[in-house]
Amino acid sequence: MSFEMWAEKYRPKSLAQMVDQKQIVERLASFAKSRNIPHCIFAGPPGTGKTTAALCLARDLYGDVFREHLMELNASDERGINVVRETVKTFARVRTLGEIPFKILILDEADNMTRDAQQALRRTMERYTRTCRFILIANYSGKIIEPIQSRCAPFRFSYLPRQEQDLYLKRVASGENITLQEDGLNAIFDVCEGDLRKAINSLQAAASLGKPVDSEIVYSVVGRANPADVHSLIKTAMEGNFVEARKKLREMIIKYGVAGSDIIKQIHTELFRIDIPENMKTKLAIVVGEVDFRLGEGADEEVQLSALLANLVEAGYQLKGG
Amino acid sequence: MHFAWTVKHKPKSLAEIIGNQEAIKTLERWLRSWEGGIPQQRAVFLHGPPGVGKTSAIEVLANDLGMELVEKNASDYRTEEKIRRFAGSASQYGGFSGRKRVILLDEMDGIHGTVDRGAIPTITKIIKNTRCPIVLIANDFWNKKFVSFRDKKRYLVIEFKKPRTSELLSHLKRIVARESVDADEESLKFIVQRSEGDVRSAVNDLQALAQGKMKLTYDDVSWLAYRDRKDVIFTVLRQVLYGKTCREAKQAANNADVNLDMLFEWIYENAPYHFNVPSELVDAMEALAIANLYSGRIRRTRNWKLLRYMFDHMTAGVAMTREKSKPSGWIPFRFPQKIRSLSTSRAERAKKRGIGQKIKRRMHVSVATAQKDVLPYVKVIFENDSQMAAGLTEWFSFGEEEVEYIAGGKRRTKAILKLITK
Repeated sequence: MSFEMWAEKYRPKSLAQMVDQKQIVERLASFAKSRNIPHCIFAGPPGTGKTTAALCLARDLYGDVFREHLMELNASDERGINVVRETVKTFARVRTLGEIPFKILILDEADNMTRDAQQALRRTMERYTRTCRFILIANYSGKIIEPIQSRCAPFRFSYLPRQEQDLYLKRVASGENITLQEDGLNAIFDVCEGDLRKAINSLQAAASLGKPVDSEIVYSVVGRANPADVHSLIKTAMEGNFVEARKKLREMIIKYGVAGSDIIKQIHTELFRIDIPENMKTKLAIVVGEVDFRLGEGADEEVQLSALLANLVEAGYQLKGG
Repeated sequence: MHFAWTVKHKPKSLAEIIGNQEAIKTLERWLRSWEGGIPQQRAVFLHGPPGVGKTSAIEVLANDLGMELVEKNASDYRTEEKIRRFAGSASQYGGFSGRKRVILLDEMDGIHGTVDRGAIPTITKIIKNTRCPIVLIANDFWNKKFVSFRDKKRYLVIEFKKPRTSELLSHLKRIVARESVDADEESLKFIVQRSEGDVRSAVNDLQALAQGKMKLTYDDVSWLAYRDRKDVIFTVLRQVLYGKTCREAKQAANNADVNLDMLFEWIYENAPYHFNVPSELVDAMEALAIANLYSGRIRRTRNWKLLRYMFDHMTAGVAMTREKSKPSGWIPFRFPQKIRSLSTSRAERAKKRGIGQKIKRRMHVSVATAQKDVLPYVKVIFENDSQMAAGLTEWFSFGEEEVEYIAGGKRRTKAILKLITK
């Protein structure tokens, strides 16, 4: 086993190595071949290869010295308008030496940029097109303003299908000399649903237990690693322990920084999976929807979600025949 | 007999005054300039926020220079006549002991601009003719009533600023050392933070919490924000949670002079322990959720009229929930955990952010994603496989403290770090 994060170690180095997103990879490869790229938007859920594709494209274009022609920015960390004004502009306007006349700026999590910053970015993109091409990466392209969208070639990434994820994980497992059992693979797919980064991280964490990776280990690792473990949150509440459930909720929000909207989304999904009477699911879904609406209105996450937990306590009580 | 620590630990020399070194030097130079005759600026105006050492500075300096300090609060001598009687004569003759004299008019803010009309002109007139230095002290120099002191030819104006938190912290450390109290850093930091640079209030708070104790921990001080309020809050809580009528619940909260948001946190924290019938728990938490909804609407729209609805639901709304719930035994009221966890996890969050930044550098993700989607897995690895953890520590270049945070224990950390040195 090697001592780095496997998600990095096994990140493809060129487009040819990418197993998934076939159509996108093909088009990007043709850009690389023609030595020219347009501004791009890579949109899609996490762990589907957006950043990897951008890095691979850059490497295929510039070779091993690609770092000299590339800047990576993450809009979540630097979302202010000043970054666009200063950092981006400074990078974009200076011409690069070399046979390819433009540089590449990868702007990750671009959907977290403020509208003002996006407007500023739009002008920068236009002005310095000759010296710099932009690859914007986002979960939702809808959060990118229209004028930018219309200047970019859109690429829509989707979750990896089961087969491709399995293929990848098996490759990692054999590279690291660990035993990955079939039910372990099932479990990883069950919890990661095609998010490859999460899948590889789960595999590495599971392997750290030093045993063959089976479903039991995967679930326990993911449970521990997943601060937004709504499954145990719901369970605790339905067992009637409101105070403990509220404590868990508080930890998720304060300690792990999970957004209330993420928690409610997951509770909603989980609600329809758990083993309770069907009519109870729909009744609780009404409360879930109301809480979601209130969060959108700017109400306090913990207080509102606590009200939902109280409803779960009551539901659990009714199930026991109360 | 206990002394107030603010007096007991008052600075006795210049070295003990925290902060404002420049201001003090200027003040000293001015006082010394009197040795060579009466300077053009016969008065100095010291201004700055409360508790930053304006009065202490002049007291210590007068002592150092062997001058007699004639000290009066201007607010005690508001009228023209009284000021003239006191300061006028004092400013013309030397001290009884033959020492040089400094006149101090403290708390000038207490002079009322219109009611005490005549007071300020009298002071300026006295200054014009004074034969010994006069020191004026106020918080708000820029107040209209002090406008005549803005004449730079006649008055030397010196601003005192809040000391840095690090300076205030070491001051408190000095005091606890002298008082032989074993105080942890976190607790002192909390006091410093709360004081907002007011040395006097910080020392008062420290005394209130630490006097007579051997040890002072964070838990001892987090109550500080609510000191003197505890009993009040408990009474209100009891009436809100067990009130029989809307009126009873509302009045209890109304009569108590506590901050509404704070009261909300107390009720929200404690209500679940006092409703043991699930349907009533649902209603109580819903009442609080609605109160919270109004609180959000008020913040957003600045429509303070809505406050009454927030108030209704968090008090009467909760109280009227009770039908059958009868918790047995004595249930202690709890300190709002939400407030505590926010303040205790601040340091933790900073550490986590640092770790997130190191992960970001390696893994092409944002700091937030690093914390949320990568760190938890790294944590599992660190808890289970020291060898791999050691490798990752080098790969990410984590520091020792970061390893300890991730591994969650000193022994584990040692084991991991030992593998690295090999």
